[in-house]
Amino acid sequence: MSISLKEGCPSRRADVWLRQAGEENALYDPRTGSLHLLNHTAFAIWDLCDGQTRPEEMIEAICQLSGHHRDVVAEDVERILGGFDKENLLDWMS
Amino acid sequence: MADEHSKVRILLADEQPLFRDAVKLVLESQPDLKVVAEAQDGLQAVSAAEQHSPDVALIGANLPNCDGIRATYLIRERAPTCRVVILTEEEEEDTLLAAVEAGASGYLTKESPLAELIAAAHTVHRGETVVPSRMLGGLLGRLILRRREKEQALRRAARLSRREREVLALLAEGGDNGSIAQALVISPETARTHIQNVLAKLGVHSRLEAAAFVVQNQILDDLVGVDR
Repeated sequence: MSISLKEGCPSRRADVWLRQAGEENALYDPRTGSLHLLNHTAFAIWDLCDGQTRPEEMIEAICQLSGHHRDVVAEDVERILGGFDKENLLDWMS
Repeated sequence: MADEHSKVRILLADEQPLFRDAVKLVLESQPDLKVVAEAQDGLQAVSAAEQHSPDVALIGANLPNCDGIRATYLIRERAPTCRVVILTEEEEEDTLLAAVEAGASGYLTKESPLAELIAAAHTVHRGETVVPSRMLGGLLGRLILRRREKEQALRRAARLSRREREVLALLAEGGDNGSIAQALVISPETARTHIQNVLAKLGVHSRLEAAAFVVQNQILDDLVGVDR
């Protein structure tokens, strides 16, 4: 699977709310009224969307931590960021 | 029932005998887990890992006589097939980062349910990593920051000549003019000149600061490989 991401660093849209209840995490988008449930990896990546961290850096850090093959991690990170992007939850900083 | 050879072999290291006994009882209630060694301090843990080659080591972070982080580093060095899970009293981001950097594959607090400890032993044995989900984002953020700092440090080190990088590496290992001169087969005066050049190029004010620059940024192994 290949997903092309925009250039730059993803940034959490300021008006999207993160709701946490116990181990459950969800994003609420007030523009659309939609709720997006996050698994642990997606939650961690959402946390890294600070407008200063490149997707490449996220991939390298997860590889370092998990020891998984880079291609596998890259596909996961790109799929998750692509999902956020598709729902218009991100801004991209150059 | 798993036969003896297919069981996950575990080293259990904690200062408290009561904790060890309780955890051992629970682990050995599992048909595929076996505690093959116990230790009450860090040095014992390292020695037991070398002697028994366990599959998994459950190591208390605050062990006496070589703490759990240092013990993890030594176990990974001397028994590289052993996967380490660090056990802490409470969630501490600094300890988690240090554990990961020392080579640990897992991190749990002692407040975790015993079922999580059993699951963690299986998970790290499969080659996966165990980190509390609520700490994952912060840990990844700090790993990224560390990597940026290291890249920045390597760019600074790239200003040095090959000889100066060798001198810096020896400085970081505690060398003085005499020992550096001896190691590089140069005169002490030449060693001193190289050291002055290293300090000036790195923009640091003392040998101690230069050594700290290397150690804090974990670039000792990279120094000789940096090209100008």
